Amino acid sequence: MKETYGVRLPGLRLDDLVGKLIVIEGTDGVGRSTQIHLLKEWLEQQGHAVLDTGLSRSGLVGKSIRRAKEGHTLGRITLSLFYTTDFADRLENQIVPALRAGFVVLTDRYIYSLMARAMVRGLDPAWVRNIHRFALKPDAVFYLRASLEELIPRAVFTRGFDYWESGMDLYSTEDMYDSFRRYQTALLEQFDQLAEEFHFRVIDAKPDPQVIFEQLREGILRVLVAPEGVKTEEAKAATVALTGTATEAPKLELPLVAVVEPGEQASDRAGDSVVDRRKKAQSPAP
Amino acid sequence: MKRYGEHRIPGRLFIVEGIDGSGKSTQLMLLHQWLKAEGYGVVFSEWNSSPLVKDTTKRGKKKQLLTPATFSLIHATDFSDRTEHNIIPLLKAGAVVLCDRYIFTAFARDASRGMDAVWLRELYAFAVKPTIAFYFRVPLEVAMKRINDARAGFKFYEAGMDLGLSEDPDESFRLFQGRILEEYDKMIPEFGLTVIDATLPIEAQQQQMRSLVLAKLTQARQLRVAP
Repeated sequence: MKETYGVRLPGLRLDDLVGKLIVIEGTDGVGRSTQIHLLKEWLEQQGHAVLDTGLSRSGLVGKSIRRAKEGHTLGRITLSLFYTTDFADRLENQIVPALRAGFVVLTDRYIYSLMARAMVRGLDPAWVRNIHRFALKPDAVFYLRASLEELIPRAVFTRGFDYWESGMDLYSTEDMYDSFRRYQTALLEQFDQLAEEFHFRVIDAKPDPQVIFEQLREGILRVLVAPEGVKTEEAKAATVALTGTATEAPKLELPLVAVVEPGEQASDRAGDSVVDRRKKAQSPAP
Repeated sequence: MKRYGEHRIPGRLFIVEGIDGSGKSTQLMLLHQWLKAEGYGVVFSEWNSSPLVKDTTKRGKKKQLLTPATFSLIHATDFSDRTEHNIIPLLKAGAVVLCDRYIFTAFARDASRGMDAVWLRELYAFAVKPTIAFYFRVPLEVAMKRINDARAGFKFYEAGMDLGLSEDPDESFRLFQGRILEEYDKMIPEFGLTVIDATLPIEAQQQQMRSLVLAKLTQARQLRVAP
């Protein structure tokens, strides 16, 4: 049975989601859409119904996000939440219904990209993880990994440097090349960490697309033939990552530390230790 | 990103909470008038977020596209925009900021729609902790009478019609707002809300509010602008 990362949405039944949720993750320009195109064709030839979906494609907010990015007007928390809203809309209105109908859902990026981008923009890593806990755990996450040196020519010779893919909202530089390097380096660091934490299957995105395709195909076949109820090693590992059963897994933070102010009464509520840890962890204000 | 209670900024933030018909907006308006007359740099922070977020929220409500999850998230997005672009800059500048409804509205309303209470508190962890959060407590029947006297009928989401509690908007409103009242009551100790008895005469409530606000302003004389 499918599960979420710890938070259940009201009215969202999980017991009859018979399809498979397969995530293709990776940084910008790594060739995700090419692979999804190939995979969809192949899966359909095999007789599987396929839904492909990706970020900012929701009916509710997709258009607004694209417009907002044109104007560069949203703050970093707001932009992050906008993407999460888009994701929730697609989860409820596209992904879950398709899984219920027995589709293979191929998603171009998932919450991990949202988390990586938000963390590169300086948002609290615990917060970023916690707000995405309503997401379904995928059956498999394939991470197409390319180094910065491989990404640069792809950006230069295909679309050119994009404002957002270069993190131009982050650094005060006019130079898109420098900004692209800094931003993509920071993103790769985040992805590498997430890959470990959420047990991505890492695929080297350097070779010929056909070679990558074959690796993906093999990995997906393994997911598709896994009998119901018997979890693959990846699925088991991914389960551990956010449910807190592993020692390293991030714990859901306790309720807000609303009533306690430094110097105010120190109550004996369970939340206090969290407050103290946060206070200590907090870096001094600039 | 600073979390709730971690912001150290010179301004003062006063917010009002309560169900529709509790009279909180009237009280906030009276407080605003008084603060202005006293010479404070005071700003009323409206729910006028960026047009984009607002358009999405409006469209979602009009077409009834919103589930409890997206209703909650789109309002958090909206609130985040106000926080980043409006509330925080104003407080940094030393203003007295007034808000009609705050995160507690979202906690009460979204929890009543079945959203996870802990998740909701985390979602809004970026919010600035108010200097005082006033909660105007009123029995449901009093609130309903006030609303019925003032205007005809309830709006779809306001009456919780998306939850299918009842076909009848009046009954649905009663059930939904009843749940919201329970959520508010739980938050009084959790967040140290300052309770005002909203059945008292308007003048008496305002008197209480002003003396509590004044106590927080005397420690902040620098906020005063020239009269």
